[in-house]
Amino acid sequence: MKDRESTGPARAAFSPERFLRRYGTLVGFILIVVFFWTQRPGTFMTIPNWVNITRQMSILGVVAFTMTIVMVTGDFDLSIGAMASLVGIVAGTTFQNDGAVGTAVALSLLAGVAGGLLNGVLVAYIGISAFVATLGTLTVFRGLALYISGGASIYGRVIPAEFSSFGRGAIPLGKIGATDLALPNLTILAILALILVFIILNYTIVGRRLYAIGGNMEAARFGGIRINRLRLLSFVISGLGAAVAGLMLFSRLSTAHPTQGEGLMLQAIAAVFLGMTLSEESQPNVGGTLIGVLILGVLANGLTQMQIDTYIQQISTGAIIILAVTLSSLSGQQRHYGRWLRRLLRRLPREGD
Amino acid sequence: MRKFSLLLVILLLTVAGVGFAQDAPTVAVMTPFLAQPGTQIMVENFEAAAMEKGWSVNVIDTNEDIAALVSRMEDVALQGLDAIIINVDPTQVEPGLHAAVDAGIPVFGLDSGAHPLLVTNVTSNGYTMAAETATYVVDRLSGAGNVIMFIFEPYPPVQKRGAIARAIFENTPDITIADAITPSFDNGPLEGARNAMEAVLLAHPDAGSIQAVWAAWDDPALGALQAIEDAGRVDEGIVIVGIDATEQARDAIARGSNFEATVAQDFAGMAQKVADLVESHLGGANITQVNHYVPANLVTQADLGE
Repeated sequence: MKDRESTGPARAAFSPERFLRRYGTLVGFILIVVFFWTQRPGTFMTIPNWVNITRQMSILGVVAFTMTIVMVTGDFDLSIGAMASLVGIVAGTTFQNDGAVGTAVALSLLAGVAGGLLNGVLVAYIGISAFVATLGTLTVFRGLALYISGGASIYGRVIPAEFSSFGRGAIPLGKIGATDLALPNLTILAILALILVFIILNYTIVGRRLYAIGGNMEAARFGGIRINRLRLLSFVISGLGAAVAGLMLFSRLSTAHPTQGEGLMLQAIAAVFLGMTLSEESQPNVGGTLIGVLILGVLANGLTQMQIDTYIQQISTGAIIILAVTLSSLSGQQRHYGRWLRRLLRRLPREGD
Repeated sequence: MRKFSLLLVILLLTVAGVGFAQDAPTVAVMTPFLAQPGTQIMVENFEAAAMEKGWSVNVIDTNEDIAALVSRMEDVALQGLDAIIINVDPTQVEPGLHAAVDAGIPVFGLDSGAHPLLVTNVTSNGYTMAAETATYVVDRLSGAGNVIMFIFEPYPPVQKRGAIARAIFENTPDITIADAITPSFDNGPLEGARNAMEAVLLAHPDAGSIQAVWAAWDDPALGALQAIEDAGRVDEGIVIVGIDATEQARDAIARGSNFEATVAQDFAGMAQKVADLVESHLGGANITQVNHYVPANLVTQADLGE
């Protein structure tokens, strides 16, 4: 998933220790899967369950993938959960006022872009730290969602059937044995978001420049990169991702509640951090984020199937995140960081403008 | 890495030790509200009732996250349980209900709300509970005074309470609803209500400018009580009422504070009732009643004794 590094200067010969350090999180993920497989052979490793997991994780996936872009530049977007909630209320209110699905979706995406622009201007142009700025907009978005909705959920007949059926729908792919195989619409959206973010980060000049900003902002500035514009862009993409996720959530639940997306923010950040442990330079990377999202999803699904107390589930999930990140920082991956940046900057002029 | 592997193995083994398979009927109790005292009482009593019946119970809480609850419902639907009990507004978890019903698992509501996909719902009659405390306020004020309401619109069972109390107050000509507040949940409803009540007291500084606080459940009533006590306005005779009769509310009422009355929903009775209904459904009985109402009682200092 990280073609860039593999072209790096002479590598040490293969060592199992180094391999396990680098891929510890991935090995951990596989162990978790194997463990649940042995514990719940009849229900865990089945096609319906994995379809189930991908559908459940699709919404988190979209915000985590777009959040990766913001975190590549070294920023955070804490407002995504509140934005996802707000977007549900925007779409729901549009339906209440007899708006069509197209109108509701357009207004929602517009709200996401506007929120992202606000975040981006505050961080990139006014110079407020991303943490403070997006904490502020988080509160504003949450307040707006509560104000517009009057604190009440929007559900029932006002929501057009074609909107709610999308979140529950799937594209049939035929049969495997006796099992109908169908790819949920929400999963498809998440895959599209994954591909899009992967291309942006790995195959475009914009992506390389985003990494350069995250590596060393001053060096990137001297390298002639228009930092402010790119940081603004990353927040707009994140806002757009939050808007798409908010619509997905609304469609899946057929209910827009003014706080229903708030759980997404911490989980998205956790997924990106888990994914960072899979990069040699401890950099956010969307492939790693995907593994992070899957770890969170598989843990929730498997532990539920095993009838583990939900509070124990939270403890285990938190412990695994800490464990993975600790392992990765113990392995001294940060030391590679300078080399990674120098290599990246050497490349930039060649790519040209 | 060795340490990591060791830790992972220990973690997984711990997890494996907790979860063991059983042949007895398995019932999942699913809620996002396990931190609420009323929900805790229901869950504990349901577990006790289920133990008597020899069932295995799986309690799942998603910490106020509805979307996560839907996901967990889809997970347990794949497991082939014998029944699911939900304590959440069923309209908000419809995909989960569909997943369960499609898998042939009957779903019962426990103080949730009526829904076509539920076998039945066991609850208290929110209208009568709110009417009990609202008329208590009207009677204590002899039909005249300013009332502050603490309401919560997003959760239908609590919204009902507010609607009926409002109707009773509005039907009493000399009672004025001075404010209807939805407390913030950021630091729990106690803190939110307390802050809101402090603001109300500052906005009504004159003694005797507020006669009563009607709260749709006990937490905001307790928050309001704390605000009134800290502002040194206990002697104004502000009457506070709540609903649910939590342990903390009973204590406040028993010590003769401004918190005068609450309504005891029979959570234990509801849990027992839903367990009995699950048993008869599994035994083949056809349940047609949409809502089973378990009676609730007004609780005042006199009822608690000293």
